[in-house]
Amino acid sequence: MKLSNNTVMRRPIKEVLNKMSKKNTRKVSPVAQAAVEHYVNLSEHVNLLEASADVVDARKRAQATLLKQAFPTQRDEDWQYTKLVNFVQKRFEMPSLNAVTHVDLNSIQNFLPPLLPDFEVIKLVFVDGLFCTDLSDDLSCLPKGIFIQRTHERLQKTNDLDVGDVLHSDDVLGNEPFVGLNQALLQDGFEVSVAPNHSIETPLLVVNVQTQANQISNVTNQVQVAENAELTLIQQFVAFEGVEACTNVVTNIEVAASARVRQVVLQQQANEGFYFHTQFVSQADNSDFNTFYAGMGSVLSRHQNHLLMDGDHIENSQNSACLASQKQVVDSRTDTEHNHVWGASRQLHKYVLADSAVGVFNGMIKVDRQAQKTDGQMDNKNLLLSNTAKMNAKPQLEIYADDVKCSHGSATGQINHDQIFYLQARGIPRNQAIEMITKAFLMEPVETINRPEVRHWVGDVLSNALLSGGYFSRGMS
Amino acid sequence: MLLEIKNLQAQIDEKPILKGLNLDIQPGEVHAIMGPNGAGKSTLASVLAGRDAYEVTGGSVTFEGEELLDLDPEERARKGVFLAFQYPVEIPGVSNKLFMQTAVNSVREEQGLPPLDMFDFDAYAKDKIELLEMHPDLLERSVNVGFSGGEKKRNDIFQMALLQPKLCILDETDSGLDIDALRLVANGINALRSDDRSFIVVTHYQRLLDYVKPDHVHVLYDGKIIKSGGFELVHELEEQGYDEIIKQYRHAKAD
Repeated sequence: MKLSNNTVMRRPIKEVLNKMSKKNTRKVSPVAQAAVEHYVNLSEHVNLLEASADVVDARKRAQATLLKQAFPTQRDEDWQYTKLVNFVQKRFEMPSLNAVTHVDLNSIQNFLPPLLPDFEVIKLVFVDGLFCTDLSDDLSCLPKGIFIQRTHERLQKTNDLDVGDVLHSDDVLGNEPFVGLNQALLQDGFEVSVAPNHSIETPLLVVNVQTQANQISNVTNQVQVAENAELTLIQQFVAFEGVEACTNVVTNIEVAASARVRQVVLQQQANEGFYFHTQFVSQADNSDFNTFYAGMGSVLSRHQNHLLMDGDHIENSQNSACLASQKQVVDSRTDTEHNHVWGASRQLHKYVLADSAVGVFNGMIKVDRQAQKTDGQMDNKNLLLSNTAKMNAKPQLEIYADDVKCSHGSATGQINHDQIFYLQARGIPRNQAIEMITKAFLMEPVETINRPEVRHWVGDVLSNALLSGGYFSRGMS
Repeated sequence: MLLEIKNLQAQIDEKPILKGLNLDIQPGEVHAIMGPNGAGKSTLASVLAGRDAYEVTGGSVTFEGEELLDLDPEERARKGVFLAFQYPVEIPGVSNKLFMQTAVNSVREEQGLPPLDMFDFDAYAKDKIELLEMHPDLLERSVNVGFSGGEKKRNDIFQMALLQPKLCILDETDSGLDIDALRLVANGINALRSDDRSFIVVTHYQRLLDYVKPDHVHVLYDGKIIKSGGFELVHELEEQGYDEIIKQYRHAKAD
């Protein structure tokens, strides 16, 4: 495979990009408008149950931006290839806080185990977006240094807690429509904090299982890892077969000075599902953040990191492995801001697309004037298994400092026939040869997961998704 | 008869390359195919291995009595045809171990033998790694990624040693090898010589043939074998070059 198209920039480059223009008067289709009104109504319903004025107000602010902006259309640059046409035709309902009692726990208990890792974890289970006590570990006896509560509980305590970090400003709500939707429907999620100097050995696994069709799992998470502390967080999104549902997640992660956070996000919902996940990550001095996203399944999925490097000597890596077939759209994007000196960011995003699938990658590395000695690398490589699959890639750099090392690249191609023939000439059947080459291609970013048991498990999950997902059963050129 | 090539004609992009080639190979024989650039040497190797860029337009090739040209490349490999590539291919992310364990087990399956597990395979591969003086971590590394030209060719011979084929086709295996690498490759080949294994050594130069003595030498020109002989033909070519033989051939053709 010929996949090299890097540009290395070592000179000051001022690249002023047009910000997404937010017009006040937007053309919104009647269908989209009706969808907005539907979710505003849902939000009002949730508000009826709410005692805290702050939370009610936060939802109201989000409603206002939703009403003003509506959902993005193809005219919005950031949504050009990630079309919401199907999404706005749906009217997802939200389970009320009492709904979990109606859920058939047995069916979930039978469904989940084969999907979960076999190593020891602290397990939280959400059912259709609501925390499920019966299926989760006991939060009152956790290892020393880690504190977990559900977002719903936290919102009840707003009198003695500052909710500012869970909630977002009107600017953010306006720019990120699904963060706006998330806040309008704010109800549950998890909050985890790790005390200073504590390394939590056992990974925290948070599973959201979608059991009901036409429902939205609206999840709002907060992760705070204090100075010199460490956490491994695994978020897994699964769904019962054939369940057409929506998952809309916002995860805020604060990585304090010298803290280490390792995150793995697995999107394994049913083909009919929608998935939106927006992450806001901020890092302080000397901290290290490593996130890996695997996108598998879902007719439309979009995973987005906003990463602020607000300190010196920060390191991070953001990697993804995405698979899509049929008419699925898989979108993964990163927005990385180097704001101080000696920051190092690494990215590798790989896509395998079959049939008429569409892949979208959008990555931006911004280097502030102060951020000298920045080392930022972003790479995107894509393998198309059919002549009708499509990849839209946009790696971007915006550099205002003059002593930096940044590179960005993107390459898309099909499997090299010489590679296939080489394997065939050693007795390996053509189909198996294609499988081996494709799998090897997809697995490269998995190598960045540093805990071996997590790495092996994620590798198995991805490889099963690839080998059992019908990627190789159809005819290939 | 192990291999019988009759009046083989092949083209690429509608350009005829092989124009009626005949060759018989008995078990245990080493045949050298020599010739100037563009004569069709590599085309012959590729057609025998089944590369689909080449279209066979006439003739036949039988391997142990079976029509070889009807088989997919992997079936040929399983039946014992091996091509050492002129340019071995890099495959990022696929380890030599996964590659060769899969390949060896494909061939074993064909032979009705049980597959080798990873421990059996490691033990089996160890001797061959030493024979070719490959890196001890060879099996963990991706196929040919980061290998020098010489290492890639040694890796192909290593694969040949593992697969124990009946017919080994070496396509310009000597090109680009320094003297040390050439000796290692030649040792690897000679270690495999036996009464029931045959070789086709495709080369432009005499170098490799000094180490791997062929029983028969053929000169390929314009898609045909224009002269055959014993090892003395190698010396003749070395002294006179291809021009003299080509001149004789043209002269004879004109008559």
